[in-house]
Amino acid sequence: MLDDLLRIEREFNQALDAAGLDPDAVEAIRVRFLGRKAELTGIMKKLGALSKEERPAAGKAINVLKQKVAARLQEAADQAGEAQRTASLAGERVDVTLPPRMPWTGSVHPTTHARRELETIFRGLGYSVESGPEVEDDFHNFQALNMPPEHPARDGADTFYLDGGLLLRTHTSPVQIRTMKDRKPPLKMICPGRVYRRDWDATHLPMFHQIEALVVDEGITMGDLKGTMDVVWKRYFGSEVETRLRPAYFPFVEPGCEYDISCQVCGGDGCRICKQSGWIELGGAGMVHPAVFQAAGVDPERYTGFAFGLGIDRIAMMKYGIDDLRLLMENDTRFLGQFPL
Amino acid sequence: MLVSCNWLRELCPVDATPERLAAALTARGLTVDAVDADTAPGDVVLDIDIPANRPDCLGHFGIAREVAAAFGVQLSPPRALPESIVPSDELAGLVSVTIEDPGLCARYTARLVRRVSIGPSPAHVADRLIACGLRPINNVVDISNIVLLETGHPIHTFDYRLVNQGRIVVRCAGEAMPFTTLDQVERKLTPEMLVIADDRRPVALAGVMGGADSEIGNDTTDVLIEAAWFDPVSIRRTARRLGLPTDASHRFERGMDKDGVLAAQGLAVQLLEEIAGGQAVPGMIDCYPAPGARETLELRYQRVQRLLGYDPGAEAIHEALDALQLAPREAGEGRVEVQVPSYRVDLVYEADLVEEVARHLGLDRLPSTLPLTVAPTENETVHPLAERTRNVLAGLGFQEAFNYSMLPEGADDRWVPKGTLPALALSNPIAEQLGFLRRSILPGLLQSADLNLRRGNRDLRLFEIGRVFLPAGAGDQRPDETLRAGLAWSGLAEPRHWSRDDRPVDMVDLSGAVAGALSHLQPGLAIREERSETPGFHPGQATSFRGADGRELATAGRLHPELLARFDLPQDLFLAEIDLDAVLAAAGPGLEYQPIPKVPAVSRDLSLVLGEGAGYRQVVDLLSSRPAPATARFEAVDRYVGSHIAAGETALTIRVTLEPYDRTLTDEETERYRLDLIEALESSDLPVKLRA
Ligand SMILES: [Zn+2]
Repeated sequence: MLDDLLRIEREFNQALDAAGLDPDAVEAIRVRFLGRKAELTGIMKKLGALSKEERPAAGKAINVLKQKVAARLQEAADQAGEAQRTASLAGERVDVTLPPRMPWTGSVHPTTHARRELETIFRGLGYSVESGPEVEDDFHNFQALNMPPEHPARDGADTFYLDGGLLLRTHTSPVQIRTMKDRKPPLKMICPGRVYRRDWDATHLPMFHQIEALVVDEGITMGDLKGTMDVVWKRYFGSEVETRLRPAYFPFVEPGCEYDISCQVCGGDGCRICKQSGWIELGGAGMVHPAVFQAAGVDPERYTGFAFGLGIDRIAMMKYGIDDLRLLMENDTRFLGQFPL
Repeated sequence: MLVSCNWLRELCPVDATPERLAAALTARGLTVDAVDADTAPGDVVLDIDIPANRPDCLGHFGIAREVAAAFGVQLSPPRALPESIVPSDELAGLVSVTIEDPGLCARYTARLVRRVSIGPSPAHVADRLIACGLRPINNVVDISNIVLLETGHPIHTFDYRLVNQGRIVVRCAGEAMPFTTLDQVERKLTPEMLVIADDRRPVALAGVMGGADSEIGNDTTDVLIEAAWFDPVSIRRTARRLGLPTDASHRFERGMDKDGVLAAQGLAVQLLEEIAGGQAVPGMIDCYPAPGARETLELRYQRVQRLLGYDPGAEAIHEALDALQLAPREAGEGRVEVQVPSYRVDLVYEADLVEEVARHLGLDRLPSTLPLTVAPTENETVHPLAERTRNVLAGLGFQEAFNYSMLPEGADDRWVPKGTLPALALSNPIAEQLGFLRRSILPGLLQSADLNLRRGNRDLRLFEIGRVFLPAGAGDQRPDETLRAGLAWSGLAEPRHWSRDDRPVDMVDLSGAVAGALSHLQPGLAIREERSETPGFHPGQATSFRGADGRELATAGRLHPELLARFDLPQDLFLAEIDLDAVLAAAGPGLEYQPIPKVPAVSRDLSLVLGEGAGYRQVVDLLSSRPAPATARFEAVDRYVGSHIAAGETALTIRVTLEPYDRTLTDEETERYRLDLIEALESSDLPVKLRA
């Protein structure tokens, strides 16, 4: 009897070793050694052939073997299952470096990027964003801005005219006039938009984009203009940027000035970009001219105001290092694609 | 303007280097663009940008005044003034001046220098002219130029013999007539142009250019000198109309000094005697019908602080005004009164004096403060959909393009509805291709697509947001400017990928982009598609998207094959245009929460065959007109065209989903509804049948 048990155990071990991690083979071994027809199941019946003294030990040995077989089978089944799951996951592995299935990537124009960044800065300072017509009349584009007919300052803005006397606005300043006429001070606004000048060469396009800022209230000073520009240009170009005002003439401001920022390329030491001056001119500015206030129905004794303007396309070119103006209007997708949303 | 440093130092004794001069002038608003030490031997030339309001600085003397103020030095005394402004009997016998229109010529002075011998100028005169960018011609012409460059005041010299009887009449041309200017060009004068005439004919175009037949020649001996003041607007009109901007007209149209004629005459006569060997007839004819009074202007000290944001103090304000030769005088009550010199035509307002103070003290003295103003922002006029649309379209994979608002003639004719008024024409376009204001965004995008396809950029999705200009009728009425978004799509429908085959874009893709954009811009807005008649599109592949009230919100379509061929495009192009004003006006339900159903939805599929002339939208309109036991949604889940059905027919499976809120529908209710839908289809006029 004990010999039989030893043999069965040996056969079980051999079979289990041979089965490896194959769950089906392990299951077959379970049927063979623990199933209803298994020798180990039938061997209990042979106990009767043993002596009364031998019977308890033999019975115990059978049970020990049964438990041992069951435990090892469970262990083998677990291992086989685990191995199968691992193998199955391994089979589902993908090359994570393969190009993904991307959606189309859209973009907005670099000039839009620059405009939005400036709008965000101004909105953060409490400015509203205003707009007005691009086809203007002489009053709003010139006369209300202290440029009567035949004023020499009209030379600087070569104007497109429509039959009938209307014109394409040469700056966004008419929006200032319209907003002042429509609303009472205090006023704190910017007006971005398309403007048109009859000028077309390597450094001029007949259509470009401006932003002007206007603040009108009691007690607005040129110091406020300086401080506002300091904040705006530091936020836009970086905290190391300095702003400088130089006296200049624009009919709609008095005192008037042009303003420069310290050159970003050389840090103010002088280079080719800033023509060795260390400064880059950005635009015009000043205190709203009393004649402009009068034309717009604002009391120049009670209110003062500052205004400044700039070309957005130029700011965008500076910011993104674009060196050819024509790129802005060609719409080559290889250019546009460089400015994702 | 080119300014000689040597000349400047003669007028104002400063020893500052040219670089320091340049920096000081720039800081005062006379921007020095270049300091040139190479062109003129022994001299340094400054290129100064003179602002339009400072005609007094259009000569070396005016610049010298600014230098004197900047460096706190005294100007050299004037070189020469006429000894007398009264005509001698001798002069009165030789020359007479009549001003017919004192509004256009406020002052006219004349002097006569005889026995002049014409010849080349001495080197020191020629060098000055060359340094300032002028070419020496002969001593008399050169002297006119020297006077112009030093005093800033243009003078004109006539050959006295050629002015009939020495009679000068300042008058309008009176009639259209030809006139040959001294550049030997015959010009067409119009009646209102101001001329200098003798008693027979014009001899000069006042303030612009002299006439050829009274010009100084090699045999001239007697020189009649004109120094006058002409009306800026009149001179500007004449110069512009004739396309003849000159050094003289440039100055007169900015406003010359009525008293500047004296210095100009004085210098001219002195030089004609010194250099050209002439002898002046004593005295001067000064025709000055209404001499201007000295202008005064008041400045409140407190106004300086209110505009600049800092208080320089009364003393500093006085010093500044004094340095600028404005003769400040206390006027009591915190005011100072200044005498405006006749050459400072720019000083009119109190604010002009604040600017004088500000620039004299230096703009670097301004404090850096922020306005405390809080202003309402709720009435912004910027278009509420513009930026959203940019984000939505870029989010859908389109790239923003910019095109001109102007187009070639006729470029948008196929992109506007019938009956749209013709595009507005520019009266002075800069190029033929930019002659008319666009009425559609699409021609520009078509051009951009063309450029990209020619450059080999075969996959393109462009958008542009901008205004179009719809004429309102009358010529002087501003056009209706509406905001549009245009789309152009060509090449692949989806990015090329190793996991799938390339698929070219089609109408369904384009319409999806448009409908997708609209669903973001006006959430929940009901949109109906119809065929579009826009002639630029393929007649069978053009959609009009309309709001509930029938107003067109957008059009989309495939480019008409004729246009494709005309542009010689290598592949199909799909275009769409969204009217953002219409979308804004179509105010949909907006963002509003709808309760989520508590019970599951049920669906039924209807397999239909649509005959020719029946469209998905018509079928769904019919189905949704039937009463439903719960909210019903319809969608197309399958479409088939092919050999299993007749030609011209389309098999379409429409899924209807019923979404009850909190009561589960019974099978009977659902089935009754389905049967009702089938009944409705079968009894309708639409060529639709159930698929077997
Ligand atoms: Zn630099």
